Amino acid sequence: MTFPIKKNLQANHTQEITDANAQLKALLNAAVDAIIIIDHLGCIELFNAAAQKMFGYPSSEVVGNNIRMLMPEPYRREHDKYLSNYMETKNAKIIGTGREVKACKKNGEIFPIELSVGEVLESSHKQFVGIIRDISEQVKARSDAIANRERLAHVTRLSTMGEMAAGIAHEINQPLSAISSYAQACKNMLERSSNVPDTIAQQQKLSITLEKISSQARRAGEVIRRLRGFVKKRTAEREYVDLNVLIKDSIELAKVDTRLLDHGISLSLTASPAPLLLIDEIQIQQVLFNLIRNAIDAMEDQPTDQVNISSKWIDAQYIEVSVTDTGYGVSKENLVHLFHPFFTTKETGMGMGLPICQSIIQSHGGELRHRAGIDKGSVFSFTLPAKSIVKNKLG
Amino acid sequence: MKRNATPPVLKQVVHIIDDDEAVLDSLSMLLDSVGIKNAIYSNAQTFLDTHQGESIRALAGCIVLDVRMPGMSGMECQQQLEQLKCSLPVIFITGHGDVPMAVEAMKKGAIEFIQKPFREQELLDCIQHALELNKAEHERASRLLDIDKRRKSLTKREKEVMQRVIAGQANKVIACDLNLSQRTIEIHRSNVMDKMQVNSLAELVTLALIK
Repeated sequence: MTFPIKKNLQANHTQEITDANAQLKALLNAAVDAIIIIDHLGCIELFNAAAQKMFGYPSSEVVGNNIRMLMPEPYRREHDKYLSNYMETKNAKIIGTGREVKACKKNGEIFPIELSVGEVLESSHKQFVGIIRDISEQVKARSDAIANRERLAHVTRLSTMGEMAAGIAHEINQPLSAISSYAQACKNMLERSSNVPDTIAQQQKLSITLEKISSQARRAGEVIRRLRGFVKKRTAEREYVDLNVLIKDSIELAKVDTRLLDHGISLSLTASPAPLLLIDEIQIQQVLFNLIRNAIDAMEDQPTDQVNISSKWIDAQYIEVSVTDTGYGVSKENLVHLFHPFFTTKETGMGMGLPICQSIIQSHGGELRHRAGIDKGSVFSFTLPAKSIVKNKLG
Repeated sequence: MKRNATPPVLKQVVHIIDDDEAVLDSLSMLLDSVGIKNAIYSNAQTFLDTHQGESIRALAGCIVLDVRMPGMSGMECQQQLEQLKCSLPVIFITGHGDVPMAVEAMKKGAIEFIQKPFREQELLDCIQHALELNKAEHERASRLLDIDKRRKSLTKREKEVMQRVIAGQANKVIACDLNLSQRTIEIHRSNVMDKMQVNSLAELVTLALIK
């Protein structure tokens, strides 16, 4: 009696396996993501329909080959090491978590993928399953967004500088005027000294004045260099920058808004440890410039009140920079729209200043916020990830 | 008859006020190079503080004033000077052409509005002109003071007689009006001519017209 039952069980079991196989096949073929199974040496055992479509290889061309063929350098070189390392230590960076890497199609095209890897447990031999998603679109969208932000930021920098023409003239005219007066003074001294026998003192004075002339010429050049840097077409790039230097540079730049010459700026910067930021310098300068100009706009009725710029560490990783004015502040109803594009209370405003600042700061991993000033006016603060400068490392 | 002694030589100083250190230094050196005495101030408040109170009215020379400065602007400084009755001529210099501001400054009595960078000779000419204006103003003021002193030396009766003489009345008429003898009027009239240090009726009328 037992035999038929046993046979029956066996038949059921076989049927179950057949079903499971069919279901697995259907799952594999229906999956939108590429699914690949490899052995412990990286030899491809399974390559689903989506994988064939994604990589451009029919299954027959890849099964039995090493997974390396789907990888560009440097992953291709490193992969065997990853595998053997995992086999020894059972410690893999990738298992259980997805990560972004590059893959290589049959036609040689390299594309970004999101890869998640799992280990097949309880199988006859060591196997890994990889699930691969083509993220070309997302990556492109992301870099488009970065390029667009920089394009928009660039356009606004250009238009700001357009508005600042008079101020730029002022900033350059100051040293030019000093140069011209020094030179004329030298000429007068020479003309007058022609019949003075003892001219050593005179020569020293001339030499000092000539040095002053060249220093003023450099000053004019510096203004032009800063402006060129600010308006030149460029790709967004990040470098380590000393925040205090950046703030002082931004103030020099902001002087093209001649109203700043009436107001003046007071600084209270964190001196020690000096914060070092990995940022796009021009973009953060743009944020500061924008906030300074907003502060001046707000203090229309207090033409001699100072703009205050302060910085402080809010914890070990974040620095906060605040630009404070004593102007008319932001009304309750305007507060909600403050960072909305095209919202402006200014007659000639575009309403793009704060949204661009916000987007720049966010792209740097920080936040731009507004709060009311103590008595009146506004405080605009932004946070940025920072580390303290270790002097000897900077050289 | 005693005429006024030659006035003491006027010590004129060009006061330069500009917040830009290099501009200030170069202007000072330029004026030094042509032998014009000058003093420099990095802001308007320092200038006002240095010459507080009465002494600001006694200054001789002129002011070269930057328009844009943090704290007190050039225009505000000009207003303060006006309130303090400082008579120094003001020459504005500016780093950027601002027509409405220039018009405003000139209306308020600035003698020139120069744009940086300027030709040095232009500025020096302006300064010379300003110094001459200031000198003329000082001479006028000291002459006025002098005339005032002479007027004050007249007695009440002499003043009455002088008013009528200037108005063209004959001694006879004045004597009749004031109920005095013609002889007495003649004596008063002679005293007036003496005290006012004039030789003719025409001179007396001229002095009386100076305000």
